Amino acid sequence: MGKRLLTCSVMALLMGTGGLAAQETLTIGVADALTGGAAVYGLPQANSVEMAAGEINAAGGISVGDQTYMLDVIVYDDKANPTEATNAVRKLIDRDGVKYLLGFCCSGATGAVASFIGYEDAVMLVGNAAERSITTQGLTNLVRTRPPADYTGAAAGAFVARQGHKRVAVLGALETSFYASYVEAFEEEFAQAGGEVIAHEVFASKDRDMSPQLTKIRAMSPDALLVVGYVEPAAFAYRQATELGMDIPRYGFTSGSEEQFLRVATSEQMEGVWDLRPTELTLQSATEAGLAYHANYTERFGDAPSPSSPYAYDQAWALKHAIEAAGTVDDTEAVAEALRDLQVFPEAVMQYLPVDGKMFDANGQAYTANGAFQWQDGHWVFVEELPSDPAAYSEFLSSLD
Amino acid sequence: MKRGNILLLIVLMLFVALPQLITVKYYLHLSILALIWVIMAQGQNLIQGYTGYVSIVQAGFMGIGAYSSALMSTNLGLPVSATIILAPLVTALFALVAGYPSLRVKGHYFAIVTLAFNMVIFIVLLNLTDLTNGEAGLSGIPKPGNGRGATIDFYDRQVYYYFVLTIAVVMTALAAVIVRSRVGQILLAIRQNEDLVASVGVAAWRYKLFAFVVSAMFAGLAGALYAHYQSFINPEIFSVAQSLDAILAVIIGGSGTLTGPVIGAFFVVFLPEYLRFADSFRLILYGLILVLATIFMPRGIVGLAHDLKTRFGSAR
Repeated sequence: MGKRLLTCSVMALLMGTGGLAAQETLTIGVADALTGGAAVYGLPQANSVEMAAGEINAAGGISVGDQTYMLDVIVYDDKANPTEATNAVRKLIDRDGVKYLLGFCCSGATGAVASFIGYEDAVMLVGNAAERSITTQGLTNLVRTRPPADYTGAAAGAFVARQGHKRVAVLGALETSFYASYVEAFEEEFAQAGGEVIAHEVFASKDRDMSPQLTKIRAMSPDALLVVGYVEPAAFAYRQATELGMDIPRYGFTSGSEEQFLRVATSEQMEGVWDLRPTELTLQSATEAGLAYHANYTERFGDAPSPSSPYAYDQAWALKHAIEAAGTVDDTEAVAEALRDLQVFPEAVMQYLPVDGKMFDANGQAYTANGAFQWQDGHWVFVEELPSDPAAYSEFLSSLD
Repeated sequence: MKRGNILLLIVLMLFVALPQLITVKYYLHLSILALIWVIMAQGQNLIQGYTGYVSIVQAGFMGIGAYSSALMSTNLGLPVSATIILAPLVTALFALVAGYPSLRVKGHYFAIVTLAFNMVIFIVLLNLTDLTNGEAGLSGIPKPGNGRGATIDFYDRQVYYYFVLTIAVVMTALAAVIVRSRVGQILLAIRQNEDLVASVGVAAWRYKLFAFVVSAMFAGLAGALYAHYQSFINPEIFSVAQSLDAILAVIIGGSGTLTGPVIGAFFVVFLPEYLRFADSFRLILYGLILVLATIFMPRGIVGLAHDLKTRFGSAR
């Protein structure tokens, strides 16, 4: 009896061990701005990846053949600095043995990593970084969930022209390339509709007093104001415009959440402001997946998610589906290829517009719809979709070096 | 052989053996960055440590070297080995223009003028988008040699490490030659008492300008090596914060010594990385360590080592 019990115990132990052997851990890395001015984008992105990993694990992990992989996330701060980002990613690849890199909210840091990632046995999934050139380098192991800034800028220009404005003044972080490319595309489209941008006033990301630029703009009597930049300086610009008595429509490109704006400006000062951006997360524009994302994020982190944070959340789910489709976690080339073949999946929070039926085009670029959001009674309200042609833009992107 | 020379030889051998000792390539990457910083800090030491003028434009000059080498190799198609040699010369031209007015003032005023120059360089790099591509930066900067897979493959980090190590050793030797020459003695005299130097008929401004321009050339060379190593540059890397790190590298290591910038450079590159475990407290810890080190080790690590050696020597 005792011997039989011992045999059963050993068998149970072996079976148990066999079960454990089928479940492994896949470590993924996040490099993002957790501190500094860009943390308003980077921190929510890092949180999103951790949340997505938790949900994927809770749903049974990633299945590859007989194996199941549970995700483990290592997060490093790159401070949106190119050297820091390079160090963080080198550490993830060389020391931590990570093959899948997520996050990347900011263009400078992302560009630095993109410059060498093509030579690495790794796959890079870029989030909020909107600089166009990131997906024009022909990197087969890089994909990006956020559309480039000029894709949205053109749609915004057409929208503002449709509102009947003829003379628009621009105030923004025009030294930052993706904001500059947004304005360039805006201006081109706006000019085609007979409009004119009468001023290009600049602020730096750390500036908090925009009254000199706004005073100059006020003297030019524009029909409308376009503010492009990080959330905080943009919020100051909106606030100071009302303080200076500028009673003109205010448009912008910031992707800031309600909470982020209300830290600087009051709801009254924000009333009527438009944000012309990719159709990112707001409760009014959200799908069922978006609503669940908002609720889970708020519950987990005690703060509402920033509108752009789902770009990173979607990265994690895209990676899961790609790995499962490729049937391997070790062969990064196969996973990168599977990402290019991926269709938009049900867990996606952003509303992607597929090109040729796929989530990412040949350049590794995903496209969302663009939307016009307006601040009404303390909330961003989705008003309408902006006309966007991802297929045409994808073709244009492929034509660039 | 003198004891100092034996020590130097041992350290050199350690540097040569380092890639074989390192098992994780990430530390090789940091070592390359640190060696680039050694060149930059040796330059900073010439003007700050030996001449007594705290310059806050070293990162700006590093940027000029980086951009000039990158642009000459990508736009003009010049060989990278040539552009790395030309980069310090281009930087020297800018330093000559910046140095002449800057060195008309002394002390804090000189520091402020050079700080302004760094800011000007930063803004120009940011806004001269047709040439520099602005904030998006330059990517795809080629490496020296005949490309990937060549006999000497500079894409191999180990090869690049030895390449940078060789240049860092040569530049440190050059700094040693300068400070031990008559020019070096005059620079030291300027640091001690500039008025006295002028009173004996020495045109101090010439020597100060020499130190400033040579210091910039070191930074320009470091910038070129950085650009071709990382294959990507943008203005962010060459901001005032980086210049302050160059000053710190000299202070922490030991101002006015040849060993100090070597130690300081490794300190400035490795310490923030080792503090990553502290997450968002990392920068606070880093700042705290630097403040404490500056207060309690005003002569840097080299000074502390010297003090310890003297104490134990006298105890015996």
